[in-house]
Amino acid sequence: MASSVDPDSPRFLRQRVLAGFGADGQRALAGATVLVIGAGGVGSAVIPALAAAGVGTIAIIDDDTVEASNLSRQTIHGVADIGRPKVDSAADAVARLSPDTVVVRHSVRFAEKNSFELLLDANLLIDCSDNIATRYIANDAAEIRGIPMVWGSASRYNGQVGVAWDEKGVDYRDLFPEQADDDGSLSCELVGVLPTVCVVIGAMMANEAIKLITGIGAPLIGRVVSFDALSGTTREISYARNPDGPRPGSLEERTAIREPDPDLAVTPTKLAQLLAGPTTAGIHETPPLLLDVREASEASFVSLPGSVLIPLGQLPDRLAELDSLLPSRNASIVVYCHHGVRSARALELLENAGFTRVRHLTGGIDAWRVQVDPEMAAY
Amino acid sequence: MTVVRYFAAAAEASGCDEEIWDEPVATVGELRAGLVARYGEPMSRVLSTGSFLVDGMVSRDPSRAVGERVDVLPPFAGG
Repeated sequence: MASSVDPDSPRFLRQRVLAGFGADGQRALAGATVLVIGAGGVGSAVIPALAAAGVGTIAIIDDDTVEASNLSRQTIHGVADIGRPKVDSAADAVARLSPDTVVVRHSVRFAEKNSFELLLDANLLIDCSDNIATRYIANDAAEIRGIPMVWGSASRYNGQVGVAWDEKGVDYRDLFPEQADDDGSLSCELVGVLPTVCVVIGAMMANEAIKLITGIGAPLIGRVVSFDALSGTTREISYARNPDGPRPGSLEERTAIREPDPDLAVTPTKLAQLLAGPTTAGIHETPPLLLDVREASEASFVSLPGSVLIPLGQLPDRLAELDSLLPSRNASIVVYCHHGVRSARALELLENAGFTRVRHLTGGIDAWRVQVDPEMAAY
Repeated sequence: MTVVRYFAAAAEASGCDEEIWDEPVATVGELRAGLVARYGEPMSRVLSTGSFLVDGMVSRDPSRAVGERVDVLPPFAGG
């Protein structure tokens, strides 16, 4: 559904007159689709700010219902909303401010299995979630999808805000490479949070979102802002890409051009023949094992029938699973990913492990879609 | 000379926002050990989940040389 937010509306006069922002900035906001994870304390500051500023489409995902203990900081919900799904009262709040903003409600949890589909229409992901596991799923999904993510957290008297954008050089894993075990001390449920920290952090996140959508200013890429409510100060931590950091995909993957080697690569058309088996004219080999080395979220969105999923990062530890599916390490394997770069890394890894007949799909599942199965969903 | 900056729970554990580390330490591992020795269990908890940025890059290799600036930053999850 297209948004009907009118960028020329008098509602936006005070920002349209800003030098550098102007009518172009307002049009960019009206045309934007943002996905906000979490309609809690931080989301309560982010969502109204974006709606009132004229963002055309706001998708909100939250599987929670409003509780009395939320109301001190989750100000898009009121006493009368207790017991209602948070996405519903958040949508009402948006409608009061900007009835022409399209609100898409997802009353589910943001998880690996649905993350990719949820991000398909989004230009920007804003993670206001209250748990660390979601942060990593969000980071990885945005990275694979190739869009920026504004992230922020509030706990006790402190907050953090940053922007993860792999294509511009850094993501959340460059700051916190692996997910920490949360014994509860990382979340505000047990340790509490000062309501105004949520407001400050949410406002800074909305500010970053507007900057990214309109192209003004310098986003918080490679810099994280740390807010201390008790001293009333912010400090900045600059950080660079950690080359050893784990990541689900990379700029290289999306941009690399590789020349196919017939001993190592197989085209989509050729693979379709191989999978049809030895009865096909000119094919004398048994169908290869199809190994999908993408992330589970990608595989759940679309995959080649009959393939085995082992994400590239897990492959070194899961070779025994491959052995259990093959008569020997001399059996034929075709590895694939989205565009053919992760699969090239997997191929090298498998060869080093003693698998002798490994090839990978040139151009990945995306090339398969173009050349073999145009009905297949694209991403 | 290394300046160590503390954020959020790390600042609570150390009782300050930053300090010049006055003991001779050559590696990240030695600095971590020094931090735990000086600030005890609260700092140990921060270091178990937090990031250690050496001159702006996350370092998990204890043998890495300490630089001019080390930032100790815990992740947190509240929203």
